Amino acid sequence: MKFADVVSGMIGILIGVYIMIQCQSYPEDFVMKIGPAFFPEILAGGLIVFSVLLILLALLGKSIGDFQKLSVREKGTQRVLIAVVVMIVYCAVLKPVGFIIATIPFIMIFMFLLGNRNKLQYVWVPVAITLAVYLVFEKLLVLSLPGGLLSSFL
Amino acid sequence: MNVDFGMLYHSFGNIFTLNVMFLIVVGVTGGIVVGALPGLTATMGVALLIPLTFGRPPVASLSMLMGIYTGAMYGGAISAILIRTPGTPAAAATILEGYPMCKKGMAGSAMAMSLFSSFIGGIIGCAIMIFMSPLISGFALEFGPVEYFALAIFGLSVIISVSGRSLVKGMMVGFFGLLLSSMGLDPISGYPRFTFGFSELMEGPNFIPTLIGLFAVSEVIANIEKMLKTEKVKAKLNQYLPSWSEIKRSTGALIKGSLLGTVIGSIPGAGGDIAAFVAYAETKRSSKTPELFGTGMVEGVAATEAANNSCQGGAMIPLLSLGVPGDAVTAVLLGAFVIQGLQPGPLLYKDHMDLVYAIFAAMIVAQFVMQFVGMVGMRFFAKVILIENAILMPMILVLSMIGSYAMRGNVFDVGLTIVFGIIGFLMQKYDFPLSPILLALILGPMAESNLRRALVISGGHASILFSRPIAIVLMVLAVTFLVLSIFTHNKIEKRLAELAVKDDDMTLT
Repeated sequence: MKFADVVSGMIGILIGVYIMIQCQSYPEDFVMKIGPAFFPEILAGGLIVFSVLLILLALLGKSIGDFQKLSVREKGTQRVLIAVVVMIVYCAVLKPVGFIIATIPFIMIFMFLLGNRNKLQYVWVPVAITLAVYLVFEKLLVLSLPGGLLSSFL
Repeated sequence: MNVDFGMLYHSFGNIFTLNVMFLIVVGVTGGIVVGALPGLTATMGVALLIPLTFGRPPVASLSMLMGIYTGAMYGGAISAILIRTPGTPAAAATILEGYPMCKKGMAGSAMAMSLFSSFIGGIIGCAIMIFMSPLISGFALEFGPVEYFALAIFGLSVIISVSGRSLVKGMMVGFFGLLLSSMGLDPISGYPRFTFGFSELMEGPNFIPTLIGLFAVSEVIANIEKMLKTEKVKAKLNQYLPSWSEIKRSTGALIKGSLLGTVIGSIPGAGGDIAAFVAYAETKRSSKTPELFGTGMVEGVAATEAANNSCQGGAMIPLLSLGVPGDAVTAVLLGAFVIQGLQPGPLLYKDHMDLVYAIFAAMIVAQFVMQFVGMVGMRFFAKVILIENAILMPMILVLSMIGSYAMRGNVFDVGLTIVFGIIGFLMQKYDFPLSPILLALILGPMAESNLRRALVISGGHASILFSRPIAIVLMVLAVTFLVLSIFTHNKIEKRLAELAVKDDDMTLT
């Protein structure tokens, strides 16, 4: 039995049930009987059917493939969690702090997470990437990036 | 409708301007780089580079997109040959002969052949596209909602049946993707669905951020988890064009690969990876010395690379004439078209004939540019694939974040990218294929609005779905593909099991 398959199946069923419940509140078309809820309800039904099938196959021991367990004790999982948190923080501060100031430390953290131990690279790589992206988007493509704290200088 | 050569000739004039040529060269070079970098698939590469085309006039931006697409399809071969890692899934079959050639010290010859056969395949694919797509679009003008619904279902079942190892998971992903596509305003009544109160979700999850999240951010997260080390390579690159005798030996493989690639590429849902494997198998089967395959036969490289590049022309046929993407990469292209305010499909031929021919011309020019850039930059590309992950991945991440931000200048889209990055990472980790979501996002609205239109016409009777011959054929084919895939999945599982046993033996001895 594959525990992961059972969990994925459960998530699929939950999504399907959520959609079904949501669809109940959607307005119905009395003439055609085909309103906004029609298509999502079919899809949710399909999702639930195959999710149940996945769980059944897992319970019968017919799961396909091998995967590693997702455990918080694993180094890799910890790195992923840190990465996700850093991304969310980046997204939150992007607008107030601005692209340039937010991106340089962002790149440094990810270089560290990816196992870079070359000190010299920490000095020039983040600055180079940030400036290159900034110049290409802001100057060449004329798409504005958030200026943030530096906006009065740029 | 027939091919309008005058128009084609005229379109070349629009392409041969300094500005457009520059964009094509940049696009091809960028495409080759992202294609060559292991971990950056062509789909992801095109998605990452699309922001570069924002805010340009349609001809310039479409030409650049064609350049990116062309380059990315070839680029995968470089890393397949040199470091035994396909830069794109479509190049996976190139490893079979390309890497053994590299080990035998024939890397230069393999690289030259892969470039040349990509070029030939690309040109043949383009030629077939130019002749076929106006015909098909003329034919498709008569398609009604029933046919379009069947077409959407067909495209989805093909991609579900070919991706991933489990049909059940593929189907789950297909339904999940369709549900995602139903987020936002209902296409017919305009009622907002599943927006969770975000006005940014009124039009559904924005395509580019969703895509970048699923295909680029997820890959970065996977790399952070596994911390893959980059490989070192030592290869002598001393050849830019294959020798005359090599070309003569591979003529059959080139032609067969190109034709097979175009045909398979034109099937909605089936893409370069399948085309390459089929062409390889066919070349091996019809060879006088099939037993030597796997030891570094130049024909093998020729067949696979001709197939995956000609697939490009093939995949453009349904995209342009029906508005249905041929594979994951063209699904991304379709998104880019829509950003430009163009809706591919039979009407594109009626309303924007000039643009269609500009795309044709740009694709042909892009093939020549690819051959040229590929020769000039061969050594450079061979170095680029050695860039350390610890530098490459943060770079991709920044491009992902900013690419999704730049389209609407909206931080919400950055958040969306992160969410889909996490979803994509988890899905891949547990063997759920990602490409069906991509196709579902494109085909979902098409399936829904046409299904409902058809049912309105019939007064709610589902029998209308089986009232038109083309629709019936497509539906039957869709079911056949899905059923057949159960058998192929089983076969693949067996082969994988055998391989695993072999690997164990190797480690034991």
